[in-house]
Amino acid sequence: MSLTGMGPAETRQSAPTSPTARSLWRASRMAMLLGLLIVAAAVATVALGGGGGPSRRLDPDDTSLAGSKALAQLLRARGVTVDRADSVTRARELARSGDRVLLITDTSYVLDPAGLATIPGDRVVVGDLYRVDLLAPGVRSSAQVGERSREPECPLPAARAAGSAFIGGASFTAPRGATGCYPADDDGWTLVSMPNAGGTTTVVGSGEFMTNRRLAEDGNAALALNLLGSAKAVTWLVEPPEDGAGDTVAGPDGQSVYDLMPPGVGWAVAMAAVAVLVTGLWRGRRLGPVVTERLPVVVRAAETVEGRGRLYRARRARGRAADVLRAGAIDRLLPRLGLAPDAGRNEVVAAVAARTGQDAVQVGAALYGHEPTDDAGLVALAQYLDSIERTVGEH
Amino acid sequence: MALTGRAALVAALGVVVVLVAPRPGAALAGVCLVLAAAILVDLALAGSVRPLRLHRSGETLVRLGQQAAVELVVENPGSRRVRGVLRDAWPPSAGASPRVMRLDVPPGERRRLTVTLTPTRRGDRESVAVTVRSVGPLGLAARQGRHRSPWAVRVLPPFLSRKHLPARLARLRELEGRHPALVRGQGTEFDSLREYVVGDDVRSIDWRATARRHDVVVRTWRPERDRRVLIVLDTGRTSAGRVGEAPVPLAGAPSEGGGPVGGHGAAAAARPVPGWPRLDWSMDAALLLSALAARAGDRVDFLAHDRAVRAWVSGASRTELLSSLVNAMAPIEAELVEADSRGMVSAILARAKRRCLVVLLTDLNAAALDEGLMPVLPQLSSRHLVLVAAVSDPRVADMAARKGTAEEVYDAAAAERTRLDRRRITARLRRHGVEVVDAPPEDIAPALADAYLALKAAGRL
Repeated sequence: MSLTGMGPAETRQSAPTSPTARSLWRASRMAMLLGLLIVAAAVATVALGGGGGPSRRLDPDDTSLAGSKALAQLLRARGVTVDRADSVTRARELARSGDRVLLITDTSYVLDPAGLATIPGDRVVVGDLYRVDLLAPGVRSSAQVGERSREPECPLPAARAAGSAFIGGASFTAPRGATGCYPADDDGWTLVSMPNAGGTTTVVGSGEFMTNRRLAEDGNAALALNLLGSAKAVTWLVEPPEDGAGDTVAGPDGQSVYDLMPPGVGWAVAMAAVAVLVTGLWRGRRLGPVVTERLPVVVRAAETVEGRGRLYRARRARGRAADVLRAGAIDRLLPRLGLAPDAGRNEVVAAVAARTGQDAVQVGAALYGHEPTDDAGLVALAQYLDSIERTVGEH
Repeated sequence: MALTGRAALVAALGVVVVLVAPRPGAALAGVCLVLAAAILVDLALAGSVRPLRLHRSGETLVRLGQQAAVELVVENPGSRRVRGVLRDAWPPSAGASPRVMRLDVPPGERRRLTVTLTPTRRGDRESVAVTVRSVGPLGLAARQGRHRSPWAVRVLPPFLSRKHLPARLARLRELEGRHPALVRGQGTEFDSLREYVVGDDVRSIDWRATARRHDVVVRTWRPERDRRVLIVLDTGRTSAGRVGEAPVPLAGAPSEGGGPVGGHGAAAAARPVPGWPRLDWSMDAALLLSALAARAGDRVDFLAHDRAVRAWVSGASRTELLSSLVNAMAPIEAELVEADSRGMVSAILARAKRRCLVVLLTDLNAAALDEGLMPVLPQLSSRHLVLVAAVSDPRVADMAARKGTAEEVYDAAAAERTRLDRRRITARLRRHGVEVVDAPPEDIAPALADAYLALKAAGRL
C-alpha cells in the first residue's frame, strides 16, 4: 500500500440519496392504507353505535339502553304529554296546569329539594334519592337489595294490574297509611305508595324497569304506564345540560368568566396552537443525519494497578503491602550494595547497616520484620525503607 | 421540506391578528390558509435540490494534529437559484468545521465551499452525507435533500518523535565514520582498500592488492548494511491501555468542552485525563526506528498482529518506507482480545526467512507474557535477534513514589508489585538472550533508537 495507490480520483460524481415523492408514496402506501382502514373502522363503529354523546340515564329523549325514550313514546301514544323539565322552577311552572305526574329520577343536581317537595300533584320518586325524606315524608330506605323480577303481593291496583316487574335497588319502610308492594327479602318494600297533600307519592327502589333495556320484560311497561299514565301529562325532571354551567360559576350579574372574555380569545388560542405546531416543525427538522461513530475504548493502563491498591486498602492487607515494599526495596538495594541477586538475609542486613551506619537490628526488622500492626506502622515502614534507599544511594 | 423561523413568526403574529379581528373565526381560517398557501408557493419556487451536482477535491492524507481542507463544489444545473444552507456531515472525530455553511448558487453556476477537518484520532474518515436546504423566495419554507458525495481522508499517525531523528542520525554517521575499522568482526563488511599508514593493524593488510599496487594496502571494514529489521506491533488488549499525556487532543478523552464521557461530570474531572494508547506510542517508536534503520541502510518490514495479521508491509523502498508504514498504521486500532503470541511467532517465522532483528512492541505484562510469549520465545530467539520494547506507565512510578498516607502506601505497594513483576519478566527475557527496552511514553522512541544503534555499533545485527 503506497501513498499514490490510495489517493482517490480528484472528483467523484455525487448522487442524491433523499427519497423522491414517488418512492415515498411507494414506501408508505401500505401504511397509509392501513391507517385509512383503521380510521374508517373507528368512524363506522361510532356512527353505528348510535349514542352521540354519553347516555343520560332515564332521560325521555335518550335512546341508549339506559335511557327511557321508549317509555316516553308509549306515554305519548296514549295521549299523555311528556314534558322535560331541567329545573325546579320549570317543573313548578308546568305544575300550574294541574293533573300532572312529577317524575323525579335524580336530585343530586337539585339545589333546592325542599322547593321540589312543595310542588303539588302526583309524584313518582325513583331510587333512594338525596333528601327522599322531604319528597316522601316518612319513607326511609332500609337496605340495598338486588334488582330482580318480583311479584307485587299488594292491593295497589297499578301493581296488581302490572304483575311481576323488574325492581329492586333499595327497600323502604312504609309509614302508616302507605301501601307497600314488591316486598324485598327483608321486611321492606321496593315500591311504596302513599297519599300526599294533593295526590299520591310513589317511591320505587330503582328505575331499571323504565329503561329501554327492561321495558319489554315482565310487566315493566305496564307498571310504568300505570304509575305515570294516570294523569294527562308527565313532568319529567332531568339533569340540566352541562354546558349551561352558568348556574354555578355565574357572578352576581349572571355573567361567567367566559362571558367577560373577548370573543376572539378562543380562536386566538387555536391560532397559538397552530403557531406552536409550526415552530415545532421548524425546530424539529434536522439538517442531515445524525452521524454515529465507533470510538476506541478509553481505559487508562494504570487502572489495574489502582484497583489492586484499592483491594489492599479495602482488606487492610498490611502484610502483603509490607512484603511487596520490602521486596522492591531489596531488589533495588542489591545492585547498589554490590550483592548477588540471591544474597541471603544476613548478608543484606549487614551490608545495609554498614553502609548507612544504622543499627543492624533495626534495619533487619525493617527489611525482613513482621507485618505492621496498624496503618501508621505501615506508613512508617514505607518511609523508613525510602530513607534507607536514599542513604544507600548517597553513600 | 422544512419550515423556517419566519413561518413560525408569521404564525405567531397570526395570534395577534385573530385576537383583534372583528370576526376571529374567519380570521383564524384566513391566516391559516394564507400561511399554508405562502408555504406551498415558497416550496414550489424554491430551487430544486435533487439535480444539484457535487464535486469534491482536496486532501486525502493528514497527520493527526494537523488540519486538512476538503473542497466541495456545488453545481446547480436547474433553472432556479438555490439559496440556503448546506451541511457536510462527517463523523464527529473528523472535527469538520464549519458544521453548516451558507449556500447561494445561481442557475447554471457553481460555488466552492471549503470544509476544514481537524481529526482527533487516527484512521479513515469518510463523508457521510451532504444535506442541502434550499429556501424559497419568501423565506417561509425550504426544500431539503441529501446527496452522497464520497470522500475519505486518512488520518496518519503524527510521528512526533521525528524531532529525535537528527540526533540519532548524527550518531549513526559518527558510528559509520568511526568504524571504517581495520578490525574485521561480526556484522561488518568489506568497505574499501586504502594505503597503509603507520599504526594500522598489520593483520588487515591485503597482500594480494599490495602485490598489484607496489604499495602496502589495507582493507577497511564498515558496519554491515542491508541487515533486516522486522518491527512487530502487538495490537492486542494490552495495547489499548492509555498512558502518559496525549500530545494531541484525542476523541474519547474528556476535554474541557465535555467530551463523550462528559456525562460523568465531576467524577471525570477529578480523575486524571487518560493519555494516549500504548499502541500509538509504540507506533511512534516504530516510525523513528524505521526512519533510522532505513537511513542506516537496513531493510525494514512491519507486522501488526493480535489474533490475526492486521498489517504487513514488506519490501518497501527506502524512500517510500515511511509513507507505506504510516498508511499501514493509520487504520489499526487496538483489539480488545488477548494477543495470540503463538500465531504471532509463526507469522514472524513464516515471513522472516533470513536472520533479522525482530523488534517486538508489546507490554511487559507478566501474566500475559507468561501465558503467551514465554513458551514460544525460544523458537524465535534461536533464529533471530529479538528486542522487546515496552511502554511503561509513568502513573505507576508516580504512585510508587508517593508514601504520605496509609492510602497512598497501599497504592504504592500495588505499584511496587507491578514494577517488581516487570523487572522479573525483564530479567527472564534477558536470560533468553532477548534485549529489553522499557521506557516511559515520551522516552520510548529515542530509547528504542538508541538500543538499535547500540546493537549496530556492537555489530550484533
